Amino acid sequence: MNIITALLIICFTTLIYFVMQIIYKKFPSPILVPIATSTAVIIIILFLSHHSYKFYMIGGNWIGSLLGPAVVAFAYPLYQHRKTLKDSFVSILTSVFAGTAAGLVSGIFLALWCGLDERIILSLAPKSVTSPVAMSISSLTGGIPALAAVYVMVAGISGAIFGPVILKKLNITHSIAVGIGLGTASHGIGTSKAAEYGELESAISSIAMTLSSIFTSILCPLLLHLLF
Amino acid sequence: MKIFFIICQTAILYGFFLLGEFIQGLLHISIPGSIIGMLILFSLLHVKWFRPRWIETGSHFLIKIMPLLFIPATVGAMDYLSLFRKYPSSLGIVFISTMIVIILSSAMSQRLNRNKLKKVVSEAEKEMSI
Repeated sequence: MNIITALLIICFTTLIYFVMQIIYKKFPSPILVPIATSTAVIIIILFLSHHSYKFYMIGGNWIGSLLGPAVVAFAYPLYQHRKTLKDSFVSILTSVFAGTAAGLVSGIFLALWCGLDERIILSLAPKSVTSPVAMSISSLTGGIPALAAVYVMVAGISGAIFGPVILKKLNITHSIAVGIGLGTASHGIGTSKAAEYGELESAISSIAMTLSSIFTSILCPLLLHLLF
Repeated sequence: MKIFFIICQTAILYGFFLLGEFIQGLLHISIPGSIIGMLILFSLLHVKWFRPRWIETGSHFLIKIMPLLFIPATVGAMDYLSLFRKYPSSLGIVFISTMIVIILSSAMSQRLNRNKLKKVVSEAEKEMSI
């Protein structure tokens, strides 16, 4: 019974995703990014049919379990672009470090300034890294891992929607710069957006995402320890 | 036939992910298993006997469908909708901070790389004048 439910949920999610992708191709507006529209449609359907997230995850877990190997798969484009990587390694390292530090400081201080609950601040701090990393960081620092994953999604989707608009406004066109911006701020979701620009952009974005995860896992607990 | 390759190669990539998870558990480091697995595979690709085509099709496939793989996690927001009603400012903070990160990191990288491009051009000019 569970297997049938799981299969149905997997097919349902995949179908919605492909329909949303077709809509996005017809109307390529930033707010119609497939990941955002698919999420919204699925949440609405679950609410209307009175099903819980736990029920959805019977099948959802199977889809999500491919995220790990998908991150591993970035080794291939990285290998293909190893020369670019070697040539601009220092500039990549510097920009990602600056972005990561700015993200942590701005997130934490804005939250303190708005008087948010300490547990919310701890969960929101690691928002710019991929969800498994953010969840393990927040459980280390005393935040709520599931909530951290939600803020990660907000950072990812808002970056995928508004990132390209901002990059265009600021006239940022260099492949490396585009990849760095999307990967540092919006991790895997930004990286899948970067793939729309090209292979080099997505490869650089996956490097940025990797580096920012490493920097965040070191800086975030340190910074929070100093403050709380 | 292509589906067969995709399934086998995804299994190989999954193996690297599990290896990464195992190493992470063993060493108790905060770098996630998937990234450790990626670094191992990236190093192996430089080894002569390891053929990049063993994982090429599977890698392309997984990267292409990556947004789909995130959907189950993003749907998780549904359990926290009441919290967003209670702390709507937290969403604004995450949004503003994300934009700060994009602007700062990409502008910095554009600048650093433009300088490098200029350097390459000026060196080429020097050679031309000689």
